Amino acid sequence: MASVKKETDRLIDHLSVIEEAAEDILSDKQQIIEFDLRRNKTREALRSLQKSNKEKKSWICIGGMFIKMPKKTAVKMLEKDYDELEKEINETRTKLKPKVNKLRDLQNEDDIKGFGLEPLSQSEVRAVERLL
Amino acid sequence: MASVTAEKVQEVREVTRIERIGAHSHIRGLGLDDALEARAVSQGMVGQAAARRAAGVILEVIKEGKIAGRAILIAGQPGTGKTAIAMGMAQALGSDTPFTSIAGSEIFSLEMSKTEALTQAFRKSIGVRIKEETEIIEGEVVEIQIDRPATGTGAKVGKLTLKTTEMETIYDLGQKMIESLTKDKVQAGDIITIDKASGKITKLGRSFTRARDYDAMGPQTKFVQCPEGELQKRKEVVHTVTLHEIDVINSRTQGFLALFSGDTGEIKSEVREQINSKVAEWREEGKAEIVPGVLFIDEVHMLDIECFSFLNRALESDMAPILIMATNRGITKIRGTQYNSPHGVPIDLLDRLLIISTSPYEEKEIKQILKIRCEEEDVEMSDDALTVLTRIGMETSLRYSIQLITTANLVSRKRKATEVEVDDIKRVYSLFLDESRSTQFLKECQEEFMFNEIGESETMETS
Repeated sequence: MASVKKETDRLIDHLSVIEEAAEDILSDKQQIIEFDLRRNKTREALRSLQKSNKEKKSWICIGGMFIKMPKKTAVKMLEKDYDELEKEINETRTKLKPKVNKLRDLQNEDDIKGFGLEPLSQSEVRAVERLL
Repeated sequence: MASVTAEKVQEVREVTRIERIGAHSHIRGLGLDDALEARAVSQGMVGQAAARRAAGVILEVIKEGKIAGRAILIAGQPGTGKTAIAMGMAQALGSDTPFTSIAGSEIFSLEMSKTEALTQAFRKSIGVRIKEETEIIEGEVVEIQIDRPATGTGAKVGKLTLKTTEMETIYDLGQKMIESLTKDKVQAGDIITIDKASGKITKLGRSFTRARDYDAMGPQTKFVQCPEGELQKRKEVVHTVTLHEIDVINSRTQGFLALFSGDTGEIKSEVREQINSKVAEWREEGKAEIVPGVLFIDEVHMLDIECFSFLNRALESDMAPILIMATNRGITKIRGTQYNSPHGVPIDLLDRLLIISTSPYEEKEIKQILKIRCEEEDVEMSDDALTVLTRIGMETSLRYSIQLITTANLVSRKRKATEVEVDDIKRVYSLFLDESRSTQFLKECQEEFMFNEIGESETMETS
């Protein structure tokens, strides 16, 4: 009886490890979506600020509060946000890969073919494009 | 982009392929279980358990990508399933590993030297796996708004609203984008991708939610789901191309049409060297993986001594595929020389080979194979007829009895029967001679044939 219990515990442990890894991946994916949403909103804001060039100052909503600030400062802030978001998205994407690999490993699946490859550069792709 | 290529492939497959039933069309794999033990009857394979097990072991090593530049010889009497085993290996390898199959006599051509033909076959069997990465914007078009300036000339401005299931955003459009959007006739409800680097727009289809917008639609209208997740995605596509394909693309005089017409002519060795070094460079940088494939040379005794010494050398290269050869010869002359050698293959090459031998089928196995072939050719056969056919197979050859299946079927259909009976078999057996009966007949009536004085020598000359 004890051995059955031990086996069950082991199984549950194993499953929870897999579940945890999968959950991690899902949350990362969700995070990328959130980031992309913010990135697009920031881009839209930047665009609309660029367009309205009449006033020196403009209204900007930060965290549920409207603040009037000089346009230059606003643009600078948004640009910084944008760059930060871009960096964050790339980082999450890069981190996602080993996680997916780990999950496949836990589930006893083979690695995806060519998963670990570095991508070809633009010019290299163009050279072999006709083959692809 | 990937979906576009996928779409194309699908289109090609939609065309109904009228395929003739080949001699080995029933083979789907090697018929091994997970422990590499041969199942008695599986995936179209029957018997030859030892040879199949050996092939399975080699297959595992190929899949691991561990060995390159090894060679295997499948030796056995005619009609013992040598080609079947090679075909089974090809099937089991899957589509990702390149498999090239040539017959030994194929390399003798007027347009190409023997070594060139062999080199091309070698390079067709080595795959290079590369990855393409693109940033794309993918979404459903909610609205396109294009403002024309009142004067009629001048820059247009516009807005494009895209959405996924999670988000929606507005893009301001420049002149170029507006042009390509109008050119592609993109409208609200289309699912499009925009390649970030090149700005190329690809229409994937129309959104399912818009399926009822119109009553009459073109036949090519494709409905797709609204994309999920983020708008700006990173897409990675892995391709496997063969070295030969890269060769052809890069040998200037050819142009890319050469790849499809099949007539590639000779490729300069400089081109090959350049490509080798480029691929090696990619490998160093982690941009490419070499996928050693399999080159199968059937009837290898048809190669001559020059080819054999070329093979010897080529196997040593670090980008060599796994070479599988098959022969049905015993100790015979090596082509192009006066020397005898086992299997008609020089001893020095033979020394590098792993030899798998196939043995003649037993009665039960022959029956099983005939049964499988009957299924493959959609022939109903009564048990008695099958037993008779098996006997014929035992006494003459397996190939002959397989031939009789089709012919007997025709005879049975002539008398409007659904099943092939013993009488049908008897009839075709009397209609078509097998090899030994034909020889017998010739021996008896040799005098009545023309030029009979030539046929003095009994032994057949093959080289």
